[in-house]
Amino acid sequence: MNFKGTLPTLILEALAPEPSHGYRIAQQIKERSRGVLDFKEGTLYPALHKLNSEGLIDSYEGVEKGRPRRYYRITESGKAMLAKDRAEWRELSRAVTLILGEA
Amino acid sequence: MNALENWLSQATRHLSKDSVAQVRTEIQEHYESAREAALNLGATIEAADRSALTALGDARAANRQYRQVLLTSAEARLLRDGNREARVFCSHQWLKWTLLTVPVAALSASVALYFGGATEWARVLFAAALSLSPLFAAFFLPIYTQARGRVFRIVKWIVMISGLLLAFGPDALKWSWLLISCLWPMIWIEGTRISLRRKLREDQWPKQLYL
Repeated sequence: MNFKGTLPTLILEALAPEPSHGYRIAQQIKERSRGVLDFKEGTLYPALHKLNSEGLIDSYEGVEKGRPRRYYRITESGKAMLAKDRAEWRELSRAVTLILGEA
Repeated sequence: MNALENWLSQATRHLSKDSVAQVRTEIQEHYESAREAALNLGATIEAADRSALTALGDARAANRQYRQVLLTSAEARLLRDGNREARVFCSHQWLKWTLLTVPVAALSASVALYFGGATEWARVLFAAALSLSPLFAAFFLPIYTQARGRVFRIVKWIVMISGLLLAFGPDALKWSWLLISCLWPMIWIEGTRISLRRKLREDQWPKQLYL
């Protein structure tokens, strides 16, 4: 499914509970959407870099199963942005449902 | 060259050395995790390699997106060379003041020529002084905030275009191809700086990005 434009919000949502690395973020998005949001994983990292340069997430070196990994965590401005995006999404979703009706 | 190497070389085309290293590390880590997960699910080595690579998607699409967020080789060069210029200008007091006197000298010469009757030459020199002044003054002005930088850039372009229009006089339209050719390198640098401002956090900006 095409979900262009919402990937940054989904990344922030995936990082909200705890820091994570790229592969796990991708798997979380796919699993939580029950496979509906199946995106190309090579496009995840440019989105992560953009969020990082906007100060919405930051990154640090970590280790998983003895392998060095880059972990990403949400910042305070990232949390604020996520709250704003959630509110906007609820409003949009409610409006579209009013027009199209419940599925 | 294996399939992952091929993917990486396409995805990192025109990126700076540091960006290439960063992309290679993160994609290799990702690929290894995806491959390992597929092997744990009972896939053969070939199938695991294939599925890990397929999950990455189109390398050219990834390259387009990487180039929007990471430094390209041209941007890294501009960042490095622009800083070198600023360092050279500001590290020698005599050079700093000599450069500052160039527009002033051109302005004084134009005044002298005007009163000497050579009005055409006076106009050209005045235009040169006008056009050069923002370029030389830029290194010495206290421009360290985005708002000041924005004002400076607007003033710089107005002054420089006015200088060139003044130099060419009423023939400016006829010589517009030359005007555009003269300004083209600056337009290219300005475009690259816009891209750099978007990619770097403000605390990473060197002074040249404010100008």
